[in-house]
Amino acid sequence: MRDVRGDVVRRQLAADHGLEVPQVRSITGFLLNGETSSEAIQTRVDDLFADPIIEHGAVNTLLLTTNAFASKPDAVITIGFKPGVTDNPGKAATDGFLTLFPEDTEANIATYLTYVFYGLPATVDVSWLAETLHNNLIERAILADAAMCQRQEWPELHYPAPPEQVFIAPQSVNLEIEDAALIDLSTTGLLALNLEEMQTIQHHYRDAEIRQARKSVGISPNAPTDVELECLAQTWSEHCKHKIFASKIHHVDRETGEDSVIDSLFKTHIMKPTHDMQQEVDWLLSVFHDNSGVIAWDDQWSVCMKAETHNSPSALDPYGGAMTGIVGVNRDILGTGLGARPIANTDVFCFGPPDWEGDLPDNLFHPSRVLRGVHAGVRVGGNESGIPTVNGAIVFDDRYIGKPLVYCGTVGIMPRNLPDGRPSHVKTPVAGDIVYMVGGRVGYDGIHGATFSSLELTEESPSSAVQIGDPITQKKMVDMILEARDLGLITCITDNGAGGLSSSIGEMAEYTNGCEIDLAKVPLKQAGLSPWEILVSESQERMTVAVKAEDQPAFDALAKLHEVEATPVATFTSSGMFHVYHGETTVAYLPIEFLHDGVPQLQLESEWTPPTLAAFSPPSQVDHGQLLHAMLSRPNIASKETWVRQYDHEVIAQTAIKPFVGIERDGPGDAGVIAPIHGESHGLVISCGIAPRYSDIDAGAMAAAAIDEAVRNAVCVGLDVDKMAGLDNFCWPDPIESVKTPDGRFKLAQLVRANRELERVCRAYRLPCVSGKDSMKNDYGSGPDKISIPPTLLFSLFGDHPDVRKSATSDFKHAGDKIYLVGSSSQELGASEVAVMLTESGESQGIGGQVPLLLQPEKNLTTYRALSSTIHQGWVKTAHDCSEGGLAVALAEMCIGGRVGAEIDIDGTGSGDVWGRLWGESLGRIIVAISQENEEAFLAAMKGHPTTVLGEVTADQNLIITDGPDALVAADVEGLVTAWKGTLDLTGGVA
Amino acid sequence: MMQPNVAVLFGFGINCDHETKAVFELVGAKADRVHVNRFIQGSAALEHYDILAVPGGFSFGDHLGSGRLLGNRMRFAMRDALQAFVDAGKPIIGICNGFQVLVKTGLLPGPSESASPDFVQRGSLSLNDSGRYEDRWVTLEFDPDSPCIWTKGMTRMDCPVRHGEGKYIMPSEQALDQLAHNHQLTVRYADPTTNPGEGLTDEPLPYPLSPNGSMRNIAGICDSTGLIFGLMPHPEAVYARWLHPHHTRHEAPTEANDDDLSGWEGEGLQIFRNAVEYVRSNR
Repeated sequence: MRDVRGDVVRRQLAADHGLEVPQVRSITGFLLNGETSSEAIQTRVDDLFADPIIEHGAVNTLLLTTNAFASKPDAVITIGFKPGVTDNPGKAATDGFLTLFPEDTEANIATYLTYVFYGLPATVDVSWLAETLHNNLIERAILADAAMCQRQEWPELHYPAPPEQVFIAPQSVNLEIEDAALIDLSTTGLLALNLEEMQTIQHHYRDAEIRQARKSVGISPNAPTDVELECLAQTWSEHCKHKIFASKIHHVDRETGEDSVIDSLFKTHIMKPTHDMQQEVDWLLSVFHDNSGVIAWDDQWSVCMKAETHNSPSALDPYGGAMTGIVGVNRDILGTGLGARPIANTDVFCFGPPDWEGDLPDNLFHPSRVLRGVHAGVRVGGNESGIPTVNGAIVFDDRYIGKPLVYCGTVGIMPRNLPDGRPSHVKTPVAGDIVYMVGGRVGYDGIHGATFSSLELTEESPSSAVQIGDPITQKKMVDMILEARDLGLITCITDNGAGGLSSSIGEMAEYTNGCEIDLAKVPLKQAGLSPWEILVSESQERMTVAVKAEDQPAFDALAKLHEVEATPVATFTSSGMFHVYHGETTVAYLPIEFLHDGVPQLQLESEWTPPTLAAFSPPSQVDHGQLLHAMLSRPNIASKETWVRQYDHEVIAQTAIKPFVGIERDGPGDAGVIAPIHGESHGLVISCGIAPRYSDIDAGAMAAAAIDEAVRNAVCVGLDVDKMAGLDNFCWPDPIESVKTPDGRFKLAQLVRANRELERVCRAYRLPCVSGKDSMKNDYGSGPDKISIPPTLLFSLFGDHPDVRKSATSDFKHAGDKIYLVGSSSQELGASEVAVMLTESGESQGIGGQVPLLLQPEKNLTTYRALSSTIHQGWVKTAHDCSEGGLAVALAEMCIGGRVGAEIDIDGTGSGDVWGRLWGESLGRIIVAISQENEEAFLAAMKGHPTTVLGEVTADQNLIITDGPDALVAADVEGLVTAWKGTLDLTGGVA
Repeated sequence: MMQPNVAVLFGFGINCDHETKAVFELVGAKADRVHVNRFIQGSAALEHYDILAVPGGFSFGDHLGSGRLLGNRMRFAMRDALQAFVDAGKPIIGICNGFQVLVKTGLLPGPSESASPDFVQRGSLSLNDSGRYEDRWVTLEFDPDSPCIWTKGMTRMDCPVRHGEGKYIMPSEQALDQLAHNHQLTVRYADPTTNPGEGLTDEPLPYPLSPNGSMRNIAGICDSTGLIFGLMPHPEAVYARWLHPHHTRHEAPTEANDDDLSGWEGEGLQIFRNAVEYVRSNR
């Protein structure tokens, strides 16, 4: 019988390293720490640990010594988790064990995997092999090489007893020290606070009234406890407080001579425009202040969306980091209002090139390994949670080697009103409500995540900041909480993410102006955690939920039914204080106001000088057909099918436009469309836009392009442009000028420009940003080896779709259909994919030149509205957005989707030369195809909007592109398919 | 008309419970999502239901083999109730993870003669040959002579599979022959280029026509009575035509039939309607 686990390793070695190993077999090991005798277990092995039909099982015997492994292997590698790391299979095994042996209540099981190699070339270093198969940050590996195998010395792992935790009672921390010592304290303690912030804290403890109040509750009057200092560091972290977006910026523009001050980018360019739009529409229910933005979808339902990044953890442990990213953003949805149900995920990743052959800085993984790990984490997190991944993107650039970007988004749905009549998007806590911690327990994992992500990555980055998610524990919690919501038991709910309980309870306590927490009540993964660790640990799968005291019995019963741990740990008060106990002892006593509003505003310097880049200089002689094949196989353009197909994209039975479209179901979908209410065809569109390369020329243009791409993608499937909302997720390199960041002023100017364009375009598109997030320290190292990511805005969009039956997809449908270009092409090749490709190959001097601009977004909107209406009429069934690779790539993708040819003439499609019209990435362009019977109606509807005939879909399998009399491309569609699908298929096949 | 009561199991990582409830309701049943523990604790009684559905999902994260841990909970804590349910001639369906659960509990394929369930595992579902979890649409073909009450009148349909462990395995050819003889190999992966009705074959189809390498291309089986049915593909995800990846390749509704969704019924709904009608006609 086939050993598929072994096959997966075998294929991966072939795909990633060109290493052919004839056979790899696998053994799953279970290490039991319990009272049950091995004789008792022996009789039940096939009930639990081994499948009687397909597996061998043995108790207290290494399978390697049995007949199941009669022939001698060449290497054996056993991999298990390090002590204290989340072991999900072990947890499940423990649960299953207790079903069979309920009396062994303290039993615990850990798991390991053993790979057994046959025919391994003697030149292969087994230690290297082990390195490729495990991450020593979270896993341990032991091995036997060929000689040891000969001697039958098999590697044997033992139960990983968690290291002893030493309880340290809260200490007071003397802040009456020199400034240099304050900075030192912040650095060594991973507090990520600057001098002014440390001084603000120092001053707080000098206030006589504060000292008096502290004395009265028995806490060190003149100095913070370590609990308080940690709590402030988390709450004031860049991650939680978005200090750069809230800063006062002195902005100088060397190009225009502007010299001005911006008081908070967020308030000025994001919040204000949305609040202005909120005056004009009735469907913006909740913006910015909750865990996600909420819009009314119909009379009965509202929908919400949130996207987050999990970059730093994903750099250290791609699998665990990405998994906690996706299950974490799911909790943001669950924590919206009184609880929303997550119904769709989006995943957008930015990685280094998967075929990178250059050097790698210390402590960084090869991009292909990051891709595999991140993908696996998101796949497991999303699939096991039962949430379809309906939209996403994967972007490649060398600079993401320094820090991969892992954006995870989730859409949620909730009834407009609960059965008890309360609107479900409004939290209703009052003083006296009991605050529960629900879900997982608190452990040493995930301490300092918020502050860590507010620092640049170094070789010493702590492993405790990395965790592995547990989707099943979370799924049980989601099931339970949504039942509790519908029973009217919840008055307030939020997620435990960055900053742990200190943030979640701290933020909720703002509603009632106070809380009392008892850390001694918090259930722990292992005894011995110190109070500050309990307060700030970011252990996963936890929600903080407030219920009325009289509802506690019902809430407890529901938790028991779902086998979810729910523990009351706090009470809301109106005392004005964040009051934390450990048992009887007060360990933190901070004014709510100081905690949340005490952080001083940063004052930053910004200076814009346009970068100078060598201009894109296309070669004079070129075969555009050859170029098309090369472009289709660029990682940024190539099919991501291998990866995306491994996401469940249609659980919940609502996905009407899937990531794959077309006759062979492998063409690119522009946007996801779901019909979330079963039996109804009312839909919701989910799309995204991202264009980081344009930042090389102008981050403002980058932002505008990302927004337009998101809207364009959504229009292609039939978005109602009059009801759409957006999410802005900024990932930036550190933009604060310092010794480590000498070019901070420029990077901040890039941020200013991006925000200004965000406001301009969103106002023009009537597109309110309802939620967003920023991650501002995406750098690796310092000095000449420093790697900074290109400034990257992911713009996600969710909007209304009146009827999913009237949708369009990118695949050409029928021979004879007429093809039109909506929009027009300008000479905009700056930072385009073709410019980058030809510059990399040495055929062009550089990527400089005109970056695509969005000059008149108001006009684009009216064109989009007109085009959407033709889709809603059922006239247009084919539409595809032009982005990377321009018209040529978009047309090729449409032929691939339909497995049909097309005859195209690009004459008259715009002002650009042949390069501009064929490969340029001008914004606002969509290619559509219409059956001849609907052509007239389509043209009438598009009257007054730029609409140019391109040609016709043909029955033969050739894409023919001409420019008037000049032949440009004549390509066989199957050849295009091969070029497009080959690059990112890194699976090593199925043999 | 009589409304059969359907228990749609959920909890512990089952995640297709909402849509499974919805499709039964679309064909006229009354369906409840019932947490497994409500049956075990006794706050719900299986005997009050006419149909049991074990939906897809990732119960217990598929750890220790898909369906194993939930199967054990049912096998040990709901044994009597399940036995009585089956003995009473009530239909059961397991979809994807639910199929895996029914196979691991031994309810499928079950004893060869019409007999009370013995909860002995006779087959298994193991990792796809590709080693990957995949969501892809496949072509299914049904055995017209199967005793399965769920698939009456069905010949062929397009349907998504979404699994990593869907390779159906039995320990011997004889065991498979026995099932084939009884027409218990109810539904199999088929090559869409064959004519409907001519797609059933024992010859292993290549990936991805057979997405997992199942023996004899088996996608789903029934017990000897035809009342218990399990399959890896997701017919509930084909309840409407707009869920088919090709729906934009056909005509959109016109103004004249805009409000009428009946023409948009998907092929998968018939499976659930068959069971509802079976219950109605056997009352």
